Amino acid sequence: MNCVDWEERIAWYAGGDLAPAEAQEVERHVAECAGCQLLMSGLRESLSLAREAHGEPVEAAHFAAVRARVLAELERGPARRWRFAWVLAMAAAAVVFLIALRPRPEQHLALPMPPGPSAPVVAKVALPRRQVAPPSETVVVKIETDNPDVVLYWIAETKGETK
Amino acid sequence: MAQAVDGPGTRVRTGDLAAFEGVMRQYERLVLVTAFRLLGNMEDAKDVSQEVFLRLYRNLDKVEAAISYQAWLYRVTVNLCHDIGRKRKPSVAMEDAPDPVSTADDPHQTLTGAERQRVLQMSLRALSTKERAALVLRDLEGLSTEEVARALGSSEATVRSQVSKARVKMRDFVERYFRRRV
Repeated sequence: MNCVDWEERIAWYAGGDLAPAEAQEVERHVAECAGCQLLMSGLRESLSLAREAHGEPVEAAHFAAVRARVLAELERGPARRWRFAWVLAMAAAAVVFLIALRPRPEQHLALPMPPGPSAPVVAKVALPRRQVAPPSETVVVKIETDNPDVVLYWIAETKGETK
Repeated sequence: MAQAVDGPGTRVRTGDLAAFEGVMRQYERLVLVTAFRLLGNMEDAKDVSQEVFLRLYRNLDKVEAAISYQAWLYRVTVNLCHDIGRKRKPSVAMEDAPDPVSTADDPHQTLTGAERQRVLQMSLRALSTKERAALVLRDLEGLSTEEVARALGSSEATVRSQVSKARVKMRDFVERYFRRRV
């Protein structure tokens, strides 16, 4: 048996994995073979280096980052669905409210505003002047607030209505 | 090494994320460092770790009913790393290796922590994916041959062969690495 055939067993032995009987065989061969002694010492050194490096501490920030990402993902799961449900419910309520207040064409709508120094909110309705509305026509309600940066639009479609 | 661990699954299942954070703290090193050794890249290892823990959370019932967390975590970590590793070129040529930094007579004794890390990562990259997984679990994580075989879904004889070949390749790499500086 040449040394190449011993290689796997010596490598296994170097990690302390061989059964006693097989380990004795390896020890006998290594004692007589200079090449395999070098192989054995090299294996032990590289294993030792690898284990030492592997045991060195890892920056805590890496673990914290993973934890934060996982927890954020888990918190987003069902909680986010509930948040969206709330938003959808509010949006649905707003739509119902707007439909109930749906203005007639050419009508100016004055919305009640809380008392204060700000200017009243005025809704302007712009609708093309036609006797008969087309099958589908868009109604746009522009609601100006006292905040120049906030303008609300309500867009609805009429379907074949006659004015 | 693998052992049965009392899982806080009941608390976690009732939405106790603090309990799950405790589970993560207990196993984060196992998952992140194993992934890092297998992939050689910390950002990828973090991505894998995140996915492993999310899967653990979703499969807590099955994991607790079956084996230990550890065995499950090793298996899922290795599988996810294999998925990522398939898209990469795993081998590293010695010519690509940066020059050793140490200049003392016995380089093994004078390596800094950073150099040791670099030599380990480079020698791992010189292995095949399966050899690397077998060596990381057996020699670095300290699992038994049987546990490694279970984690990798192979036989103990295969693991023994893979670990032996990996040890010889690693030794060859380390020797060549330090011979360059002589």
